[in-house]
Amino acid sequence: MEWAMQVDKQIRTETGAEPETGAETGPRGPGCSLRHFACEQNLLSRPDGSASFLQGDTSVLAGVYGPAEVKVSKEIFNKATLEVLLRPKIGLPGVAEKSREWLIRNTCEAVVLGALHPRTSITVVLQVISDAGSLLACCLNAACMALVDAGVPMRALFCGVTCALDADGNLVLDPTAKQEKEARAVLTFALDSVEQKLLMSTTKGLYSNAELQQCLAAAQATSQHIFRFYRESLQRRYSKT
Amino acid sequence: MAEAATLAAESLAGGKARAARTVLGQVVLPGEELLLPEQEDAEGPGGAGGRPLRLSPGVRSRVRVVCGPGLRRCGDRLLVTKCGRLRHKEPSGGGGGVYWVDSQQKRYVPVKGDHVIGIVTAKSGDIFKVDVGGSEPASLSYLAFEGATKRNRPNVQVGDLIYGQFVVANKDMEPEMVCIDSCGRANGMGVIGQDGLLFKVTLGLIRKLLAPDCEIIQEVGKLYPLEIVFGMNGRIWVKAKTIQQTLILANILEACEHMTTDQRKQIFARLADT
Amino acid sequence: MKETPLSNCERRFLLRAIEEKKRLDGRQTYDYRTIKISFGTDYGCCIVELGKTRVLGQVSCELVSPKLNRATEGILFFNLELSQMAAPAFEPGRQSDLLVKLNRLLERCLRNSKCIDTESLCVVAGEKVWQIRVDLHLLNHDGNIIDAASIAAIVALCHFRRPDVSVQGDEVTLYTPEERDPVPLSIHHMPICVSFAFFQQGTYLLVDPNEREERVMDGLLVIAMNKHREICTIQSSGGIMLLKDQVLRCSKIAGVKVAEITELIQRALENDQKVRKEGGKFGFAESIANQRITAFKMEKAPIDTSNVAEKAEEIIAEAEPPSEVVSNPVLWTPGTAQIGEGIENSWGDLEDSEKEEEEEGGSDEAIILDSIKMDTGVEISNIGSQDAPIVLSDSEEEEMIILEPDKNLKKIRMQTSIAKQEKVPSKKPMKKRKKKRAVN
Repeated sequence: MEWAMQVDKQIRTETGAEPETGAETGPRGPGCSLRHFACEQNLLSRPDGSASFLQGDTSVLAGVYGPAEVKVSKEIFNKATLEVLLRPKIGLPGVAEKSREWLIRNTCEAVVLGALHPRTSITVVLQVISDAGSLLACCLNAACMALVDAGVPMRALFCGVTCALDADGNLVLDPTAKQEKEARAVLTFALDSVEQKLLMSTTKGLYSNAELQQCLAAAQATSQHIFRFYRESLQRRYSKT
Repeated sequence: MAEAATLAAESLAGGKARAARTVLGQVVLPGEELLLPEQEDAEGPGGAGGRPLRLSPGVRSRVRVVCGPGLRRCGDRLLVTKCGRLRHKEPSGGGGGVYWVDSQQKRYVPVKGDHVIGIVTAKSGDIFKVDVGGSEPASLSYLAFEGATKRNRPNVQVGDLIYGQFVVANKDMEPEMVCIDSCGRANGMGVIGQDGLLFKVTLGLIRKLLAPDCEIIQEVGKLYPLEIVFGMNGRIWVKAKTIQQTLILANILEACEHMTTDQRKQIFARLADT
Repeated sequence: MKETPLSNCERRFLLRAIEEKKRLDGRQTYDYRTIKISFGTDYGCCIVELGKTRVLGQVSCELVSPKLNRATEGILFFNLELSQMAAPAFEPGRQSDLLVKLNRLLERCLRNSKCIDTESLCVVAGEKVWQIRVDLHLLNHDGNIIDAASIAAIVALCHFRRPDVSVQGDEVTLYTPEERDPVPLSIHHMPICVSFAFFQQGTYLLVDPNEREERVMDGLLVIAMNKHREICTIQSSGGIMLLKDQVLRCSKIAGVKVAEITELIQRALENDQKVRKEGGKFGFAESIANQRITAFKMEKAPIDTSNVAEKAEEIIAEAEPPSEVVSNPVLWTPGTAQIGEGIENSWGDLEDSEKEEEEEGGSDEAIILDSIKMDTGVEISNIGSQDAPIVLSDSEEEEMIILEPDKNLKKIRMQTSIAKQEKVPSKKPMKKRKKKRAVN
């Protein structure tokens, strides 16, 4: 009951808000919806796998090389060396990018079967094309699609979901940059496709235990949609083979 | 369609494994688990969860199944690790045959017995280093050519193309190529001529072209007289009478990747007219 | 990673084909590959595709103090990045010769040709000027980087809008896009680079060489020109000797090509402007071709979150309540203090870490677990609810410092939830054990 009331309030605040820039004109319905998604695979000719992932106006391009040769200094004798590079659009990569690289790398490490290709390198290069909120989630999704495109063996797929909690404690899924800025807390989760278990989480801001669980439950529900999106786009991709 | 998608999402979500038999030819995604025929018979779909695996041959006959690329054994099921269409090959003898995932990847991973096209990158002592597109160069002994002896060395230069076969290829060792079969015969392998064009396609396309009853190759053969070599590592070398014809052939083969049979037939018909 | 070597047979074939005036992709000698320009939702953001070569351009601006010798001029800054995404041989963070050469050429083409009115970028003479920064990222390398990059740079500059400013006395007011429409840069002309590849000591010439043609070429001539046929810069590399006539011929061809490209750019810019004005859809999502089977789109999808509250409640109800909270500051050892939930501090307590290792069932995984916790630790600590040592978290090395108290805090919660459930050895590396349990 209480929840229903909250949702009500949210709709009101949402419709009152300024429309976002760009293609996202018009009100964005209740907070619990995803922006429009788009994905294109195999769009670059040089990398072994590539994907561009769009969530609303947020867009990330990913390229994957691997299993490829590895520098002797980085060689690991019993598994592949996984590297993630995140390149910002403006300027050179800084601490923020390094920290995100690390989060994405650990997520990939959890699902990539690196032991099948020892003494090789698997490199994921991510290029931010535009940041309009939920950037880390979009990076994760782009990385996953590019890894699938490259044919890197994985034990599961993964996806990224960002949730924001606004000042009133309303939950907003896949927030825009503006919603992220106004939010009291922003939580990003990476979930796997087999059990919808958590692979990575990073949070910013204050939230209660209950809110964390709510966000996680919402993220799990969202991941279903994202995995369905993955499946449909991959089915389309293989429709001519 | 919507229903099918929901079902698929559910199976993806609930960890409910689908029977391998029912998804043959369909797109499978990493993380999906597949049941082998004997399991579904014994336990019924979906009921596989709680029961212990029965190993005694008296209860259930055990069938030998080979996991091809893109599949791993996971307990008594198959775990999909690559995206693509699930394929199955009936065994010639007994057993469950081979299951594999037909994916469209570009990067080659050496496999023993594969015939590939390599580029010689270095000569060091008794061996050549050959780039095959894998994670490390393959080695090729100068004695691994037909008729080669210590005194009669083959004429191989850096930059030459080699068509050879892997005799050693596993994840822990440097791959090794030879240009002779087990009888010491070249059998078509060796240095590829100095003319012609080399180009790259996806590994999936190569497998399609090398399939025993591939229409594309027959159609291409009718177009112009040509010499062609397919490497399992995604490289194709082609040579026709003229530069123009060679270029046309290369472009057609590259385009085959994303054409349906009808589109391809149209293009071939148009080319045959000109 | 190394580049795939070029075989002798490819080299020979390419050269023979060039002699016969044939190109791999069926182009004629003077043909450009298809150029596609698409714009992002932000101003000053574009992607230029020249065949398979792709460049992302983004212009940004900043108010800075001017250079001492040019007090009334804004600053233009160009930066081309060759990321590893574009080709395996490009290593991150290395200033290769190619990169230096390309950046220098871009500067000469765009800055030294004075295509941007830098004086109009001055806000307060000697104090505040605009610095315009052009970031170019090569996304895919299939030859002729410089032409694609110069097109991307000028398109991004033309597309860019900077915030409006007003000066009243000593006061400089910067307006947000809502208050006043951002203003475009004043651009005098549009210089565009045209590349000519020479083969066989200059006997044969090709416009817009692709990657394989570049590998077998003997020399390269780049001419930057605007549509008024004014040459902005010219560079010959590779050490071939060109005759006067050849250079003149090239400049004539360049004139024609530049006129065509300028026309294309203007049409693309007008089109984008029109769509923006009419409130239509724009941005990269619109430039993805729908009919391509590698592309897929999904409209806005509502997510049913009506049951998340109940779900969360269930989980919390299932978990044991956290043990008593110490509200007084506790001093464990000199120099460490603690307040709030974290009880049973075990700094330097070996038992605990051993226990954790057992739980994880492998030291390898434990490391992963730690590093992730460390990261969340940083995030949590950034909002600064807890205590002093957290301030240090900006630096990478010092993240370790904040790890301990936070980790400890988690561990206690973890123990409470784990206590209830059986310890099943899992096949998968268990990360963030606490939350994972919670969702079960």
